[in-house]
Amino acid sequence: MMQATDKQENPTRSGLVTAPELKRHGFFRNVFSGIKSLLEGMKVTFHYLSHPSTVVTQQYPENRATLKMMERYRALLTMIHDENGLHKCTGCQICHDNCPNASINVVTRSNPVSGKKELDRYIWRMDSCTFCNLCVQVCPFGVLKMDGSFEGAVYDRRLFVFTLNHYAGPAAGLLAKVADPEERKKMIEPRDRYSGPVPLNGQELAGVKALKKAESGCCGGSGGCCSDSQGSQGSKEMK
Amino acid sequence: MTGITENIWQAKTVAQRAAEALPESVWFALGYMVLGVVGVAAFIAVLGMGLIYAERKIAGHFQCRLGPMRVGWHGIFQTVADTLKLLLKEDVVPAQADKFLHILAPLFTLLGTILVLAVLPMSPIVHVSDVNIGVVYVGAVSGFGVLGILLGGWSSNNKWSLLGAMRAGAQIISYEISATLALLVVVLFSGTLRLSEIVESQAAGWWIWRAHGVGIVAFLLFFIASLAEINRTPFDIPEGESELTAGFHTEYSGMRFAFFFLAEFINMFIVAALTATLFLGGWMPFHIGDFAGFNAIMDMIPPGLWFTGKTAFLVFLIMWFRWTFPRLRVDQLMRLEWKVLLPIGFANLIAAAVVVLFNFYFFPVR
Ligand code: SF4
Ligand code: SF4
Repeated sequence: MMQATDKQENPTRSGLVTAPELKRHGFFRNVFSGIKSLLEGMKVTFHYLSHPSTVVTQQYPENRATLKMMERYRALLTMIHDENGLHKCTGCQICHDNCPNASINVVTRSNPVSGKKELDRYIWRMDSCTFCNLCVQVCPFGVLKMDGSFEGAVYDRRLFVFTLNHYAGPAAGLLAKVADPEERKKMIEPRDRYSGPVPLNGQELAGVKALKKAESGCCGGSGGCCSDSQGSQGSKEMK
Repeated sequence: MTGITENIWQAKTVAQRAAEALPESVWFALGYMVLGVVGVAAFIAVLGMGLIYAERKIAGHFQCRLGPMRVGWHGIFQTVADTLKLLLKEDVVPAQADKFLHILAPLFTLLGTILVLAVLPMSPIVHVSDVNIGVVYVGAVSGFGVLGILLGGWSSNNKWSLLGAMRAGAQIISYEISATLALLVVVLFSGTLRLSEIVESQAAGWWIWRAHGVGIVAFLLFFIASLAEINRTPFDIPEGESELTAGFHTEYSGMRFAFFFLAEFINMFIVAALTATLFLGGWMPFHIGDFAGFNAIMDMIPPGLWFTGKTAFLVFLIMWFRWTFPRLRVDQLMRLEWKVLLPIGFANLIAAAVVVLFNFYFFPVR
């Protein structure tokens, strides 16, 4: 507070402790500049006090119906699907490689019609994600976004690992080039949230069941191994 | 000048009433004493809760938050709930602590607070005891607060607590000087040490603005130094959460922590009340010299309300400081006292002496 600028102290008195209070003119200037800056600060806080509109606190859950999350809130990784239900992911795996926690597993396949490599499953592990937003930023096609739906608590941790894309198949741009709607339909295969190489693996989940190795069809949701091995197998099978 | 107030509000303390009742019956006198004691105790409890709630609400809004909102309407019962929790909480005394001193420390701190409350003239009738050396008394018994902090830090057998306590000692010894220098200015002006007489001497105008700036400087000095004495932010280095966990009360929990906490908040009230008494006329209404009409209108507001208003304003100011200013470093704290406040305090005292010598006030008193 009281040490405004003691950078340019006079060099002749080196060895002494130099402080603005010791200088002839420094004393009052220092006191007044101190008071002025304090008043400035008080003005800012008083503005907050006198303007209740500056309050950012949300009265959740009372205002659950009207709650509008902030635009930049990061809670749920989502893949943007356009009005036709198509996404733009090419399965390039850049996000997969860039995730610091290996929370993303991009499983690719060869298209049954064209034979081209494309997205099969986009598997996201919410439980190990730190919501760093790197995946959203590195994606060259702007496929991903962070959603504000923060009510992510579940009773079974298997539910934290799921598929983001709604179908396996080429990206929206490629699909648009295919003229024949019959052929288009053949290229696409629907993918729901919990089918495939995720720990839940398409099971019914009546209440909370114990995780069993055999049932889950993979390593039972422990560690990040499951979708990886399954995924590469899956893509081999496709070929 | 005092004629205006003398006939309207005959100041009478609870102690005086007890003394008058004594010849009639011992029980009357005892009744008044019990009234005084119970009154102060109840006052502390209620005021403590009120201040804590107010502080949390105001702090919330200073920081774009809402503060307590859940318990009762706008969290109005939050402090009650917290108090219950603190009362029922397990009281942990560290194994290596000096148990006797550990228990004694919070009591000392609260004792200092209660003793000061007893002499505060809150209104002509709400005044427990009028001591003829009131100002000196207040300075002396407020030392109990420091004693409690020092004991608490020492007996906890914890390095952080000890550091916090030592800091408190250094801080209070330093700032006591400035506070006293500013206090002496008012003593010079009013020519008395009795708090009730200091209040009455301000019938024509409050000391803060009657002495050509000297009063304002003294007011600021006293206010700042008192804030440091009660370890209020920005001078809360004995607690220093970021450096010392919780400073001197790191090892305290439950009721004993509540005592420290309560004392802290009541002290805030005391500082505000004392500052109001010394510089803003205490319960004295706002008077301008001989403007009888204006003064009569001001007299219609009861003195208790004047006192409450002034004190509430100063309490708000203290809270405002707390939620705006960053905490000082230890060396900055010492520099502020010894190199800034102390010289100003001495110069101000000399100026005050000159003012008194030449009777150079607005609205001369005597
Ligand atoms: S937000 Fe970060 S941690 Fe989460 S999936 Fe994306 S890159 Fe991985
Ligand atoms: S989301 Fe983006 S980066 Fe990730 S695989 Fe799809 S196109 Fe590539």
